[in-house]
Amino acid sequence: MAETTPKPWGETTVVGKPLPRVDAYERVSGTAVYTLDLLLPDMLHAATLRCPHPHARVKKVDFAKALKMPGVRAVLSDADPEANIPWHSGPGGKPASRLFDSHCRHEGEEVAVVAAESPQQAWDAVRAIQVEYETLPFVVSMEEALKPGAPAVQEGGNLGSKPNVYSRGDVDKGFAEADALIEETFTTSCEIQSPMETFVSVARWDGDNLMVWDSSQGPFAVQSGLARLLDMPLNKVRVISQFMGGGFGSKLDLSKHTVIAALLARKTARPVKLALSREESFLCVGNRPAHTMTLKAGVKKDGTLTALQLTGTGEVGAYPGSTTVGGQVMELYSCPNVRTEETSALINAGQNRPMRAPGYVQCSWALEQVLDALAEKIGMDPVDLRIKNFIAVHQAQKGLPYTSAGLRECLMEGAKAFGWKEARARARGNGTWLRGVGVAGCLWGYAGGPPSTVIVGLNADGSVILNMGAADIGTGTKTVMAMIVAEELGVPLDRIRIEHADTGTTLYSAPSGGSKTVPSDSPAVRAAALDLKSKLLELAAEQLKTPVESLELRGGEISARGGSQKVAIGNLAALRQQQALVGVGKRAPNPTGKTARPFAAHFAEVEVNRYTGEIRVLRMVAAQDSGRVLNLLTYRNQVFGGLTMGIGFALTERRVMDQPTGKMANANWHDYKIPTAMDVPAELTCVPVDMHDHEWNNTSTKGIGEPATIPAAAAIANAFYHATGVRARSAPMTPSAVIGLLSQGKVKG
Amino acid sequence: MLRAFAYQKPASVKAAAQAAARPGAHILAGGTDLLGCLRDGVFTADSVVSLSGLPALKGISANPRGGLRIGALTTLADVAGDARVQESYPVLAQAAASAASPQLRNQGTIGGNLCQRPRCWYYRGDFHCLRKGGDTCFAVGGENEYHCIFGGAPCFIVHPSDTAPALLALDARLSITGPRGSRTIPLSSFFVLPEKNVRAENILAAGEVITEILLGPPQTGARSLYRKVRDRGAFDFALAGAAVVVVMSDGKVSAARIVLSGVAPAPWRVPEAENLLAGRPLDAGAISQAAAAAVKGAFPLSKNEYKIALVRGILEETLASLA
Repeated sequence: MAETTPKPWGETTVVGKPLPRVDAYERVSGTAVYTLDLLLPDMLHAATLRCPHPHARVKKVDFAKALKMPGVRAVLSDADPEANIPWHSGPGGKPASRLFDSHCRHEGEEVAVVAAESPQQAWDAVRAIQVEYETLPFVVSMEEALKPGAPAVQEGGNLGSKPNVYSRGDVDKGFAEADALIEETFTTSCEIQSPMETFVSVARWDGDNLMVWDSSQGPFAVQSGLARLLDMPLNKVRVISQFMGGGFGSKLDLSKHTVIAALLARKTARPVKLALSREESFLCVGNRPAHTMTLKAGVKKDGTLTALQLTGTGEVGAYPGSTTVGGQVMELYSCPNVRTEETSALINAGQNRPMRAPGYVQCSWALEQVLDALAEKIGMDPVDLRIKNFIAVHQAQKGLPYTSAGLRECLMEGAKAFGWKEARARARGNGTWLRGVGVAGCLWGYAGGPPSTVIVGLNADGSVILNMGAADIGTGTKTVMAMIVAEELGVPLDRIRIEHADTGTTLYSAPSGGSKTVPSDSPAVRAAALDLKSKLLELAAEQLKTPVESLELRGGEISARGGSQKVAIGNLAALRQQQALVGVGKRAPNPTGKTARPFAAHFAEVEVNRYTGEIRVLRMVAAQDSGRVLNLLTYRNQVFGGLTMGIGFALTERRVMDQPTGKMANANWHDYKIPTAMDVPAELTCVPVDMHDHEWNNTSTKGIGEPATIPAAAAIANAFYHATGVRARSAPMTPSAVIGLLSQGKVKG
Repeated sequence: MLRAFAYQKPASVKAAAQAAARPGAHILAGGTDLLGCLRDGVFTADSVVSLSGLPALKGISANPRGGLRIGALTTLADVAGDARVQESYPVLAQAAASAASPQLRNQGTIGGNLCQRPRCWYYRGDFHCLRKGGDTCFAVGGENEYHCIFGGAPCFIVHPSDTAPALLALDARLSITGPRGSRTIPLSSFFVLPEKNVRAENILAAGEVITEILLGPPQTGARSLYRKVRDRGAFDFALAGAAVVVVMSDGKVSAARIVLSGVAPAPWRVPEAENLLAGRPLDAGAISQAAAAAVKGAFPLSKNEYKIALVRGILEETLASLA
């Protein structure tokens, strides 16, 4: 195995270039087979009967009519012993429900499934199943859920977790030292991840071997989950997640439908596809929980932050999930006195799951608006206040220094690219449309690490096989990893075959999420390529009878430096004889005594219609410190996608729970409004602050997915304030909300 | 997932009307709304009668007596892109262009746009509401941010069409063929309010097909526009909107038509506001009075009071831009 700490790259020939995706043709032409496209011989289609009530007990399920319908091959429910699988946990980790549970705690919980010859037949049969429900009292807003006497979602009540407290210094002392104080309450809405490809699994048994194709960010997590629940060794569970149409955090782990597909396939001895409709995917496969945050902050006249205090409650669904939002309050800006206290409230709705920068986006909405308000109070430029409070150590981890920390550079280079000073000073206008500009900074709480093991193989003709476990969830993982191989081995990209995201043929990689794939897996790819390269050079040294140190590999040829001896890879006798050569790379540990974080600063210019409350985002600049850029095109893609999601968070997206019935009112893509091309400005600028973090890992990378979206919404909110003089505390800022704000507020003319 | 239904493609309007008159039959024009309704189980169809075998219903032509004849199967994209419409009836071109998304405008027809079913999320969702034969309007006391402020009770939908208010502001007429013959009616008598019929949005009887939309000759001095406010920039229905036609003569308004979208179960004409403008220049005072008059009598629900301010804002902005 190769030395895992090679020298950082200097000048590169492939890495960093804006190259199109290696699988662009398949993706654009339609030849790429996504899990939803997969059709296997003899495959059955399954459909799920879901509880229509927010809280109910299933009294009786009658399959008699459904089972007689044409094409129906099997049903599965809580009555089947093999489905007696524990699923959700309640507060404190106590088991709370089974795969199919007679106690349904939210609309959309699984009651039964049908497998039939066609999807239509399966759905017809689902509609023919007769279920008797006992409806139970329910609660679908956190405000109501935490009132005394509210209907209990779980036996222990509606508090999802004990208050989680972090504290350093003395906030009261800090507030007493402040020249200016701000205390505001902010709310954010529940968002649905809404990947383009919905949730789908195809399962097939071959003897006691299970094969599953899954639209997943984490094939190895799905594999280990299935192995655990079905009591199987890992080698008998093969999970493939190759072309997949996005997840945004909702597809990191095993889902019920995947287990159900496996059970149905075993029961019917046929392959089974279980796909969720768009409507189903709104109810039961995750969301970003709504949040209420009260933030108090103190600042001295010179801009020194004296204290930050956050109290927050997250609206998780019927089963507790992680809702922490305090990370940036603790870490982003230099502050000696910090206290956060967080809880969560259970409601009768689907459980939350991570969504692109979980917690950080919500926190940014509050923290960055408060920073802006502090800047105004002390008469300081918002960019300057953030620069003033930059800190190069991780305050919550006992002052651990960062290997690199580019917040200042992001703020300065972003402000320059945006023309901040000029734009800020420009008249806001007094006509129909009011203009404003805003800024927000961020950090993201992860930067990758071990484990990851990658194999790079060489064919006798010099072409290469890159074998890695990581999934490409639409971010360009395959492309950037192949570029690293091309950089080290000097082979063109079209001579590299990529095997990935298949637990049967590749080795463990953590789920692709948390912006961790590049900083976790790319160093292993580089190490594997270097391992292969050193073995290749050894073969050449033997053949050319030259010391290995004098050899270099370039353009498919190995030559001696300063000499005339050279040999093409395809002409290496030993390689011809072996027909194959392999290099293995492992992700080395992160450096001790230090840590790393990606940083960003976003800038936005907006227009607000004083008559109608419409907001137009005119332009945005995103300055990102994510370490070395591996591919400028896919990097920009991530950034523009992140800005777009930020626009959705700020302006359009929210789950609407119908309070009287407890059902989701907008479980479809018309009423749940993700931004369209018309909502995203043509002028989006990505400013990579290309700081190479040589200390952190051998590719000098920190990850871009999450920090590309975190501060976008807050930058828009701050621009809205600049335009109108009115603070938008609740997201999203829809025209109806803005009309309310403008009529209450004192709009600056 | 669609349930099974029979499919027919008649070769004449008369045959289509007869086929569509059968119980459980639904007419298919562009299909952008019907297929969604069937897929979502809003209602079911035993048979679907496609109008795709009737090319005569497609296209825009000059009306021999002046004005335009727009075939009911003309797509929204073709209406929006027609030079004659853009030149003489900008309010209609703008309304057609503001509907849905480019893909839907390429497929959806103007006849279908007038007949589309409401977008109320209770009607479309898993709620057995009044309009589907139930006994409750869930919007009352529910999530009624998108519901009506005029003409509601007992059902509080808003009419989803953008082209309907524009056509109403242009005094359009409709030709309709049914199993028992044809008739031509003013568009103003086409729509029905829930107090009259809570299950339908218009007067079409079983089997009746809109065949064409007739526009009179453009008026000299007419200025018009359609303004739509929505939550997002495309693929969205109006929170509120206004189709405005003013005829100017000697610097004064000689006639005005103001029809609102997104605020009532039918396109909502506001004659009080129109009358306030008549005979006056479009100055700030007239505009402000007209905008205030337009929302007189509004009856907001718990979460849609903003629509009152929104309608006023839209009218202040649009009337000023026509001045």
